[in-house]
Amino acid sequence: MINALTILFCLTLIYLAVSTRLSAYVLILVLQGMLVAGVHTLAFFNDFAWSHVAVAVGVLLVRTYLIPVYITKIMRDLDMRLGDSTRRYHPGFLIQMAAVVVGAFVLSDYLSQMTPVNVVPLGAAIAGMGAGGLLIMRRRLLLAHVVGFLIIENGLFLLAIGVEAEMPWMIEMAGFLDLFVLVFLMGIAMNHLKTHFPEGESDDLTGLRE
Amino acid sequence: MITVFILLVLPLFTTALAACYRSVRLNYWLTLLAGVTHLAASLYCLVMRINPFPAGWWLAVDSLGAFFLTILSHTFILVVLYSPGFLERMQGAKYDRSRRLYYPALNFYLLANTLVLVVQQFALLWVVMELTTFSLVPLMYFYRTKESLEAVWKYLFLVSLGLVFLFVGILFLSLSARGIVDYTGFVVGRMTEAAPRLNPLWLKASFIFALVGLSAKIGLAPMHPGDVDATSNAPAPVAALMAGSLRSTAMLALLRFYQVVALTRVGPFAQKLLIFAGIFSLVVAAIYMWRSRNYKRLLAYSSVEHLGIIALGIGVGGAALLGALLHLLFNSFGKAALFFMAGNIHRAYGSREIKSITGLTLRLPWTGFVWAFAFFYIGGAPPFGMFFSEIFILKGMIHSDKWYKWWLLALFLSLLMVIFIGMSRSVLRMLQTPGGTPHSTTVASERFNLSHALGLYAGLVSIPLMLFRPAALFDALHAIMTTLGTTL
Repeated sequence: MINALTILFCLTLIYLAVSTRLSAYVLILVLQGMLVAGVHTLAFFNDFAWSHVAVAVGVLLVRTYLIPVYITKIMRDLDMRLGDSTRRYHPGFLIQMAAVVVGAFVLSDYLSQMTPVNVVPLGAAIAGMGAGGLLIMRRRLLLAHVVGFLIIENGLFLLAIGVEAEMPWMIEMAGFLDLFVLVFLMGIAMNHLKTHFPEGESDDLTGLRE
Repeated sequence: MITVFILLVLPLFTTALAACYRSVRLNYWLTLLAGVTHLAASLYCLVMRINPFPAGWWLAVDSLGAFFLTILSHTFILVVLYSPGFLERMQGAKYDRSRRLYYPALNFYLLANTLVLVVQQFALLWVVMELTTFSLVPLMYFYRTKESLEAVWKYLFLVSLGLVFLFVGILFLSLSARGIVDYTGFVVGRMTEAAPRLNPLWLKASFIFALVGLSAKIGLAPMHPGDVDATSNAPAPVAALMAGSLRSTAMLALLRFYQVVALTRVGPFAQKLLIFAGIFSLVVAAIYMWRSRNYKRLLAYSSVEHLGIIALGIGVGGAALLGALLHLLFNSFGKAALFFMAGNIHRAYGSREIKSITGLTLRLPWTGFVWAFAFFYIGGAPPFGMFFSEIFILKGMIHSDKWYKWWLLALFLSLLMVIFIGMSRSVLRMLQTPGGTPHSTTVASERFNLSHALGLYAGLVSIPLMLFRPAALFDALHAIMTTLGTTL
């Protein structure tokens, strides 16, 4: 079941490559939040503890509700309508994304020969981190960069499950809080950026270059 | 428990109080109180070698932490003392919000950095590293200009990406300890005890990710751009804080990993990585310091240079490690002096462009004098502390058993020379007046003020420290060297 959810996670990455609308990115974030919460719940299903429940609820609350709602608010405030496209669809991006996903699973399989790890969740985690990075490189809109960063964070969460790293639940919760505050600060910065850079694109941020 | 209260609870209180009270004057005194008591507590821990936290907690002050706490609180006090003059100049509705946020953010910065320095649990270290970023944002965005906003955005983004790498490093570190220590034992002390049994493959991967991730905050190349942009666009006291203490705090986080790795057979690999990172940072600094047209950017690249020297010293080990630790301390003094003077220059000339600044010695005689003084200090001229710390690093290289030591030495000295010449081109140009006599209106009688006193103090205090070599400091440094697996 965990494998099925993590493969679904990889499919959201493919969807990321073919969609150009910011509203689709928000939907992907919600889907991924649900999937990582599901993976977390299943990973610790046989080892019930309230702390695991707290972390799963934390994932659901922060990743599927607070952050997507906040990003939608930024889009509304900045007058980026849901139909705005960050860039035209380009098949090259899809090919690159597919290469990232396949490469991630090859790497995961290679690592599994050296140390005991869960191949599929680990592959999905690496793919998520790579895909987030790719989105940041390929898209120019700053809001798309924030989405890319959040996808990397989702990949990171899966990575912890993939390598079976046990973290104290308080630290996991503090991590969620950090993540939310970070996105909040980015949102505030973006609101201010809009007054100076109406397009909200990374190409505008060249004032500090030598 | 009083020490714990001063280190953690008091900054929390002063943050809350400064956020509640609108009086800038009262907030200044509160912040100064937090800083002075923090310095007293840090020195107490350093000299007495006392860990004020109960055993078994995830928080502790070891010799490494006490040394870095002292650097933090000393830089913090210098910045707090400089702040009233700075805030007085920042009048007008445009700065109202920034002025209100200034002291609460400064106190929160002290708290966040203290947490990084006392946390012993690796995963918790990641959480508190994020806090240091949050505490800086309102301070960096003080001017509320297009440039400062761009700098804040880039800093937030790059440092956050760096922290993702750090988290991967922490996960790999936990993998290296699988079956040896559980997450409750994922603390520095337990990990160093278990070091010889850790999986070397994951340990290597862990150190690589931690180095890359923390480089964004330390300001090591190639992850330095966000940090350089932020430092060069932040107000002078904030830039001094970043260059003098935040980079040191991030370096301590890296040293926590190195503390574990150094005791394993992965140690030499980590040393090579640090040497490479150091040399690469020096190369980048050398290139950009020649090209820089903005004097605050020049200082930001000077920080890349010095953190590169420190990484190099740690990598070489032995006497060079002692030199690197001293260099961290003296760099914090020098950067405070330089950034304070940069603030004075910016106020008088209204520009950060090097070409717009001429005749500094005539227009701002005291600022010009301290600017030149701090330049020679940071350039490693005798008898200042940085001269001695660089001598220690050179000594460490000469006595090292690395086959490439002479090449390294030659490269290091060449890069230092190129950087010194590059920096002096800009600094001396700013001091001189082209065409002989200056225009009469440019000559002003500048009074000696607190910023000059702070700049001179920051440079001069290193001389007695190196002449008399207080046992309390050097014993602590030797203890740190032992924990990092090396001796003189």
